[in-house]
Amino acid sequence: MLRLIAGRIVSSIGTLLFVGLALFALTRSGPGSPARIVLGADATAEQIAQFEQAHGLDRPFLPQYAAWLGDVMRGDFGKSFVTGRDVATDIVNALPVTLSIVLFAFAIALVCGIGIGVFAALRPGGVFDRVSRFAAVLGLSIPAFWLGIVLIRFLAVDLRLLPPGGYAPLSAGLSLHLQSIMMPSLSLAVYYIAVLARMTQASLQETLRGDYVRTARAMGLSSRQVVFYALVNALPPVINLAALSFGYMFGWALIIEQVFNIPGLSRALLNAISQRDFLLLQGIVFLFTAIFVFANLGADLINRVLDPRQRATA
Amino acid sequence: MLTVPTNRRAFLAAAAGGALGGILPASLLHAQPTSGKTLTIVLPSNPITIDPINQLNHDAMVLGQTVFENLVEYDVDGVLKPQLAKALPTISADKKTYTFELRDDVTFHNGKKMTAEDVKYSFDYLLDPANKAARRSLFTRITKVTVLGPLQVQFELSEPYGPWLYFLTKYMGIYPAGSRKEHGDDYFKSRPAGVGTGFGVFEEWKPNDYISFRKNPNYWRKGLPHWDRLVVKMIPEDATRVAYLLTGQVDLISAPPPREFNRLKTMPGITGASRPTLGGALLMYTNNLKAPFDDVNFRKAVSAAIDRKTIGEKVYYGLLEPSAVPAPSRGWWFNAEADKELGFDLDKAKGLLAKSKYATGAEFDLSIQAEPYLLDTKDAAIFVQAQLAKIGIKVNLKVYEFSVLIQQAIRGEHQAALQVFMSPGEPSYIMQVCLTPEQVLSKSTGYNNPEFNQTLAAAFAETEETKLKESYGKLQALAARDAPIGVLGYVHASNLWRQTLQDVKVNQGLTIAPGEIKV
Repeated sequence: MLRLIAGRIVSSIGTLLFVGLALFALTRSGPGSPARIVLGADATAEQIAQFEQAHGLDRPFLPQYAAWLGDVMRGDFGKSFVTGRDVATDIVNALPVTLSIVLFAFAIALVCGIGIGVFAALRPGGVFDRVSRFAAVLGLSIPAFWLGIVLIRFLAVDLRLLPPGGYAPLSAGLSLHLQSIMMPSLSLAVYYIAVLARMTQASLQETLRGDYVRTARAMGLSSRQVVFYALVNALPPVINLAALSFGYMFGWALIIEQVFNIPGLSRALLNAISQRDFLLLQGIVFLFTAIFVFANLGADLINRVLDPRQRATA
Repeated sequence: MLTVPTNRRAFLAAAAGGALGGILPASLLHAQPTSGKTLTIVLPSNPITIDPINQLNHDAMVLGQTVFENLVEYDVDGVLKPQLAKALPTISADKKTYTFELRDDVTFHNGKKMTAEDVKYSFDYLLDPANKAARRSLFTRITKVTVLGPLQVQFELSEPYGPWLYFLTKYMGIYPAGSRKEHGDDYFKSRPAGVGTGFGVFEEWKPNDYISFRKNPNYWRKGLPHWDRLVVKMIPEDATRVAYLLTGQVDLISAPPPREFNRLKTMPGITGASRPTLGGALLMYTNNLKAPFDDVNFRKAVSAAIDRKTIGEKVYYGLLEPSAVPAPSRGWWFNAEADKELGFDLDKAKGLLAKSKYATGAEFDLSIQAEPYLLDTKDAAIFVQAQLAKIGIKVNLKVYEFSVLIQQAIRGEHQAALQVFMSPGEPSYIMQVCLTPEQVLSKSTGYNNPEFNQTLAAAFAETEETKLKESYGKLQALAARDAPIGVLGYVHASNLWRQTLQDVKVNQGLTIAPGEIKV
């Protein structure tokens, strides 16, 4: 088991390094230099060349990548060419904002998605099952940014229940914090509630049809106990999907933070893209990749704990 | 006495009510942390610097102009006025020496009195190529700055060049002698506390969220500003920017979405206004050195096929003033005859195309900007595509980010590119930058006409408005004859604000002027 975990960690780090390399190549292959953003339209070719030389942008690709990777390993993400700020500090400042929205959305998606899925699976073909299927199709179809704009219109502009955007940290008070993340998290969660509900419902229904469940019922186990054991067996694919969803949520937060004017990582990433701020762009995408890779690693490990058959193959 | 519900349903309902009560009221979220009057304004873009000598975005110039001031300024009506100088400069007979008398009641935010030494230091720093100021190229005709007395400073130019005064209003600021060396450039870029003379003192920059300033209590214009704190928020999304205004989270927004502007400004509690800028043009850089724009009749056919009035009224809902020449129709230097020569006439367009090398039609790529700046140029591009199709010209729309599109134009790699171009509102700026050689956007058109260049050089040496009008009129006539660049019109500056504000004036120069607004 330990060897397997070590192997998975090594392969995850390998994936990260590969993504870092690809990212580095992509940011430098596109047209447009950060010098043009910093020095403006009036800058001469000589000024552009001076800027690129001063910031090491004229060096060959591999030495640039090696230097960057070496710095990142030491926790130094460099200093932005464009803003002059420390990239690691910018990331550390923005990360809690995005994390709070994604974690809240993830919690909503898990609780509602698995809850709806379980109730729907217990009475196949019943009213709740049919309503939840319809709601799931709606949830899968509604674009998150559109839902966000609709929520702003009704909850903020018309009803004045919640602020139209912005972010209040937890230090400003729980109430203010919840107000600020409620609509963005809900907009982000709706799609994943639908996805997790459908997967939970399908997986649990299939498990409940299993021979061992029939045997358990025949042996006199209570319905509650049977459903509990069936749910444990039905969870692995749901956990895998949840882990993927957690990673994807950081991607969707890109749009949600823009709609709700939230100063998180994704806003910083969009600005980094439009301003050709290579170092900030690389730092944030590298972090997103790490979250995605390690969320999947975590899901694998949880599944091995839940499912003895997977442990046996270790 | 407080009673706790014992019934499960009642308990859940009470808990839900309590939770909702804990969340309300939403207005608390944006309560300002300091006491006193706060003015909150919104920009659609994310600034990268507060330093005026490196500022590129006209929206974001509100930041630099809050902290830093200049010898002269544009007022909101676009009239050049003295600011840190007592009066406009005296100019020598050869138009090469400018002398300013400075105000004697101005102090920097660090308490130090402003003198001629500070002015000299500021310009010497800007002009030193080693300091790589993004706006240096506009001022390189200044050869020497001399301190004549504690409050008197003289500028010598290499040749007569009147426009430099106008560029001060946007791209320059006065800071204390020695301050650049003391603090470093990053300080001016992101936290310039103590180094300006303006009505606002830098307080805090929260990246991607807001930049705040507090009132300068020692401001030389007594009684200003009328607020205690100014917060400039950055909200790129149109709908969110509007929602912030409607819910009272902010007081004033710039760049409201054109299609909603007229409806929003009549909503309860909200008002708004717009006015044409004299320097913000929607331009189509037509590359005269590349087919099919290498043919003057083709260029004129394209110009005549575009219905600018409909673009202004229907595409931009009145926020674009039509013009076919590089001059705003409300500018004193506008040449109506030249404008008519290039204006919309479909039959004329067909005739011109028939006379061109491309009589059977042609095809070209039109580069457009992905992210809107002042106006979404994609809207106009689609309209232009449909209009040119009527005379048999096929337009392929290519969308690029700003940094890519502008480099295409600078290098002359494009066939045609559509972009809103902001200038200080000085009449010669666009013509100089795009239509004369060895300028930053010379290759965007590839146009080089000695007669045009000489006429412009003569205008640089002129200060009398009637003679200038003649020179600029001739330049527009030449532009009408050769059609070296496509002009669709001049954009309006527009703002929406809460009716509780007083004395809001939309700035002709686009940048919001918050100093005189009463909260």
